[in-house]
Amino acid sequence: MRSLRALWMRLRGIFGAGRAEAEIRAEIESHLAMHIEDNLRAGMPAEEAQRQALIRLGGVEQTRQAWRDQRTLPWLESLGQDVKFALRQLRKSPGFAGVVVATLALGIGANTAIFSVVRAVLLEAPPYAKPGELVSLSESKAQAGITGEGMSYPGYQDLREHGGAFSAVAGLAGHSLTLTGHGEPSEVKTVVVTQDFFSLFGVQPLLGRTLTAKDGERGAAPVTVLSEALWRNKFGGDPGIVGRTITLDMRLWTVVGVMPAGFRTPFLDQAQQLWIPLDQDPLFSVWMTHPPRTHWMAAFARLRPGVSGAQAQAELEAVSAGLSSQFPEEKGWTIESEPLQKAIAGDVQRPLLVLLCAVGLVLLIACANIANLLLTRATSRSAEMAVRVALGASPRRLARQLLTESALLGLLGGAAGMAAAWWGVRALRSMLPQGLPQLHPVRVDGAVLGFALALSLVASLLFGLVPALFASRSDLQRYLREGGRGGESRGPQRARSVLAAAETALAMVLLVAAGLLIRSFARLSAVSPGFATAQVTRAMVSLPQFRYARPQQWAAFASELMQRLQAQPGMGDAAIAAPLPILDLPIPLRFDIVGAPPAPAGEAITADYETASPRYFRVMGIPLLQGRLFGEDDTASTPRVAVISQAFARRYFSGRNPLGQHIVFGFPPDGRAAREIVGVVGDIRDESLAKKPGPMMYVPFAQAPLWGGEVVVRSRFSAAAAAAAIERTTHSIDKDLPVTDIVSLPAGVDASVAQPRFRTALVGIFGAMALLLGAVGIFGVVSWSVSRRTREIGIRMALGAQRRNVTELMLSSASAPALAGIAAGALAAALLTRLMASLLYGVSAADPLTYAGSAALLLLVALVASYLPARRAASVDPVQALRAE
Amino acid sequence: MGEKTDVWQGTLALMVLKTLEAMGPQHGYGIARRIEQTSGNALALNYGTLYPSLLKLEQEGAIASEWGTSENNRKAKYYRLTRAGRKQLERATREWAQATAILARFLEPAPESR
Repeated sequence: MRSLRALWMRLRGIFGAGRAEAEIRAEIESHLAMHIEDNLRAGMPAEEAQRQALIRLGGVEQTRQAWRDQRTLPWLESLGQDVKFALRQLRKSPGFAGVVVATLALGIGANTAIFSVVRAVLLEAPPYAKPGELVSLSESKAQAGITGEGMSYPGYQDLREHGGAFSAVAGLAGHSLTLTGHGEPSEVKTVVVTQDFFSLFGVQPLLGRTLTAKDGERGAAPVTVLSEALWRNKFGGDPGIVGRTITLDMRLWTVVGVMPAGFRTPFLDQAQQLWIPLDQDPLFSVWMTHPPRTHWMAAFARLRPGVSGAQAQAELEAVSAGLSSQFPEEKGWTIESEPLQKAIAGDVQRPLLVLLCAVGLVLLIACANIANLLLTRATSRSAEMAVRVALGASPRRLARQLLTESALLGLLGGAAGMAAAWWGVRALRSMLPQGLPQLHPVRVDGAVLGFALALSLVASLLFGLVPALFASRSDLQRYLREGGRGGESRGPQRARSVLAAAETALAMVLLVAAGLLIRSFARLSAVSPGFATAQVTRAMVSLPQFRYARPQQWAAFASELMQRLQAQPGMGDAAIAAPLPILDLPIPLRFDIVGAPPAPAGEAITADYETASPRYFRVMGIPLLQGRLFGEDDTASTPRVAVISQAFARRYFSGRNPLGQHIVFGFPPDGRAAREIVGVVGDIRDESLAKKPGPMMYVPFAQAPLWGGEVVVRSRFSAAAAAAAIERTTHSIDKDLPVTDIVSLPAGVDASVAQPRFRTALVGIFGAMALLLGAVGIFGVVSWSVSRRTREIGIRMALGAQRRNVTELMLSSASAPALAGIAAGALAAALLTRLMASLLYGVSAADPLTYAGSAALLLLVALVASYLPARRAASVDPVQALRAE
Repeated sequence: MGEKTDVWQGTLALMVLKTLEAMGPQHGYGIARRIEQTSGNALALNYGTLYPSLLKLEQEGAIASEWGTSENNRKAKYYRLTRAGRKQLERATREWAQATAILARFLEPAPESR
């Protein structure tokens, strides 16, 4: 306590030095005066009295200095001196300081910005109560290669009743309902939840209450919980919203609560949404009584405290086994759990880590560059260092001074980097691909700034250590012997070359990574999806369940809409379908071939399902290969038909003619309907551009209608004009129907590769930064060596060397570290890019072209960077050079 | 003046505290003179070393200071013992007595050096 107080007083002592100095002066003065008075009284002569008083005091200045040392903390004072001195030094060379700070700002800013994304997506715990206990559940069937499917309702029920390892289980599914009565009819993202959903996540509502088990009971009134965003945007933040009714799908729902904006539903990450009980849902409540084969729920559970992963796994296995014995078609399916945070991060973890590594490499290159600059500077300051050593500065004191300078540079760079990060995060936020799981917003906050600060200190240690080490070995004798010509010992010289080589190696790694991603993205963009997107516009029309309850109404509406659309001048073909390839998630559906031996139990064969109106294939430019397409005369009352894709025909009818064969598939109530194959069409990529086409099966919309669907039109109008036409036509049939999700097909397909584009662009930018920094580094090293070897060059030229020889000499000495760096970088890249293999499409991680191209580019840049100083060397006038020395 | 002993490490603070306890508030010069007298002029006390020591005690909160007027009507800075200082003095006195007692036991058989 005592020493703590003293430390505090001494820290305070650093400030307000002026007043305290005056005080000690007065105190010593009064001390001397009293002593002299006493001496005089004792009979001393005046002069002797004063002399004796001073002797006994031990000197005024000495006393003051001893007192001063006690008053403040000497090391802190000397730190202050070091900082002041360092600032003066930097002010004296603003160019040097500017380059270092700018380089650092670039490196630290980029790192901090990327870190803010990594933190929001991967590091921050999900914003739920005790997030560590939450797991995400999925069903998989290993032998069929199916993973990560949703849960079935019976699976959810069994697990909930079992309830040993899990304190709560909840499921959800998402779709849209039509909100009317508040401006234009609009679609609201609706999350359909089981009764324990809100209690499982443990987040308190902003207003009112959440949904409970009672809301799901038979005969309960329809209720809903709004999100804060929806409440503010559609209801003006009305504080009396709780208890009011709103109209969803032409039905009245009572609002019972509002959830705060921070609460997001995992996987269904729309801000503007509302929640309703599963039992009240017009769509999914039907599926509660379905057999387990439909895995439609995203399910979550909370582990009881203290339950181990193995116990939870055992329980899941027991429930899976129970389901298999109850329902034979469930054989082979297992329920799996994964920590919620990991499940949410999903497949963005790898790309984000690659980005973080890439941007880290940029900072390392920047550090190597700055270390080189500092080395050069230290050598040109060797006169100063020698003088300071001669005046008695210890090597440690010198090293401390240099490290203070580096730390100051680091902090200045860090501050500039924070500003750059602030700007960078804003830029990044607008670049972030949709579908990046974001339970937290990407932002700059204390933790991110702390990261930047830590980074700047680590960086300054990295680039400051090498010069400080050499400076502390500063050799006075050697310096004097060389007559202050600023010679440099072998140590720093070698360090310089090693740094240049390291920089080149790091740049090589980044270039290879960027090259691989760019080549991969080019391949991906060049992929033909199997359908033509140009001039096609998509819009979604949905029919409220309560006004359009029967499938016949859906089919009639669709056919009416198509007729009216095609009657519009300037409109080409129009069609309605669902789900659209690339833009929507595919629906893999099990099917059986009539007459073929049944697949063994639990080994269902699947193909992706699509319902489409007759002109769909014309709109999408999907070619007919065999048989016929759907016609207007394929209706609900005619025999059921289907069209399959080429991949389907090849895989399941190898060599045989599929036309005329029957396959059994469909959605309830037509789940077991046999359909005759009437045509074979070309393959399309329906899941993603990166995935090879799989088997597809199409049914006529009239025979498998939906409550709305995706309207696609081919027209020579702009997307906006085409969308307006769709909207107008839709409202001419029913003015209460929402038309949403309007997009031109090229843009929609483009958006599907937003994530690869994002990472390719960023790594490309980092690669360019690396190239630039590497070039600057090599330029610096060669320039330095030219200026050091001026005399040698002069002698060579005096002895008859030609300009060409000198240029070649300088170039060859520069290319050694560059070549070594490229070789080492290629090796490191071969190891590191393996981590990226899963991000690449159509390019191997060991792609020789990328390696050769990167090496050639780097070598070229190195040669150009060293050619400029080499040419200067060749223009040295031998007479001048020799005289100057 | 004869042979003088340097002030042992750490004992000056104790002497200052004891002096202030005995004399009440006192200025630096007065403390120095008093210490000298009490030691029977056997200590080679550099008056100047007193001031860092006073400052240290003040920083630790054992003493407090304020400007006042001396008996000769001269402005001087007066130091006085605080409650914490009194406690510190008690503790230091106890420890010092213990230390000397132990050391005395070691030195007993030898003849007195001075």
